[in-house]
Amino acid sequence: MVRIILNRVYAVRDHWSLSASGTFHEGVHLVNGDVGSGKSTLALMMAGLLPLPGGSIEKEEITSSMLSLQFPELHVTGLSVAEECTSWGVTPDEILAAIGLSGKKDISPLSLSRGELKRLHLACVLAKDYDLLLLDEPFSSLDCEEKVKLCARIGQKSQGITIIFTHEQEILPRVTRIWEIVDNTLVDCGTPPDAFQHWRHVPPVIGKLTALGSRPDNISLDDLREASCRIQG
Amino acid sequence: MITIEYLHYRNLAIDTLIIKPGITTITGANGSGKTTFLKLCAGIALPDSGTIMIDDAPPRQTGIGWVNEYPDRNLLFVNVFDEIASPLRFRRNSCESIDSTVKSCAEAMGITHLLKRAVHELSGGEKMLVSLAAALVHHPKVLVLDEYDSHLDARSMAKNEQIIRSSGAEYIIRCTQQMDTAIHSDHLLFFNTGRICHQGTPDNVFPLLKGTAYYPVLWEC
Repeated sequence: MVRIILNRVYAVRDHWSLSASGTFHEGVHLVNGDVGSGKSTLALMMAGLLPLPGGSIEKEEITSSMLSLQFPELHVTGLSVAEECTSWGVTPDEILAAIGLSGKKDISPLSLSRGELKRLHLACVLAKDYDLLLLDEPFSSLDCEEKVKLCARIGQKSQGITIIFTHEQEILPRVTRIWEIVDNTLVDCGTPPDAFQHWRHVPPVIGKLTALGSRPDNISLDDLREASCRIQG
Repeated sequence: MITIEYLHYRNLAIDTLIIKPGITTITGANGSGKTTFLKLCAGIALPDSGTIMIDDAPPRQTGIGWVNEYPDRNLLFVNVFDEIASPLRFRRNSCESIDSTVKSCAEAMGITHLLKRAVHELSGGEKMLVSLAAALVHHPKVLVLDEYDSHLDARSMAKNEQIIRSSGAEYIIRCTQQMDTAIHSDHLLFFNTGRICHQGTPDNVFPLLKGTAYYPVLWEC
């Protein structure tokens, strides 16, 4: 069984620090936190791209991993959109048709709008299965329809560990476990819906639905709408 | 009033549009022309044809605060203090007034602890907060924000919403994919393929978006 174990991982910089302990099992995990709380730093450390100032990270039965950075432009290596697809080992025509960018395969990826570039990047990342997939702010720059599609794509993953580092509050996939960074520490809030009562960054919509007597089962848009429908009868 | 007439630029076409003072929010699909529209309102791009007049002056003769959706494209200087101070230095304000204005702006936005940091060390959200401070520090008449909220958490957004509203900017034109933010607007524009499909107050527009991902979950609760 794949899992990633954080043993007293510690990072420090000037007046900021982060400590993280916990075990991430197979499934989809959400990691929340305020701006500057260390979500991206934690993602980089879990990906092995930042040295650990303290503690250790154990990866069990993880043979393939991928980190999707918050800024898609940092991933670009191809001079054209088609070249960019090829660099990820995917067939340009197939993937570009799926994301509605067929007519743009010969232009520079950096000429795409930010949302289009994010779509291209995520399509390339999600074209393959990884034992450990780390997604840093995958929803930023996507429009609402694309966020819904991304949630559906993440929901189709049947194996491996997917960890989403985000502050997105409205359109999210159904998740297995919720974590958050509070007071410089990674906190395990548990599984939804019980996690909602401990979750300091609980999205306002979930708080309002719960206050209205209709707690959603999970955090996906479908769960929220189902809970909303219960109120409306 | 911002008056737009017979505007054409690339794939964007708007026959007539009046934007009243207050918060105008734009939403719609990626590639629908939202950023292009914001760039024209900010005077960063000039229309191929047609006009944009802000109280009888073109955008380039109006005080504009601009925040780009790419955090790194907002930042010109090495450290945070210099970045926020830059609009005031370009106006040749005195060193004393620049120093006090930057510090009070940073304090109001809760980013005093970032003032001595190098901008390249900041997180994406912190970069956006610094960019917003630099856009507001010279008290623009028009504040143009291109999805700056996509990098911010709910707590930062709530705080900044108050700062933006009390900034003194007569016109706030912003693009967002957060419908909880769009709800709190005076005017809402919904773009599709370079055209404005729906416009009005959120009360007018959201019912027309029912069944789409743009329809807020709690709208009818």
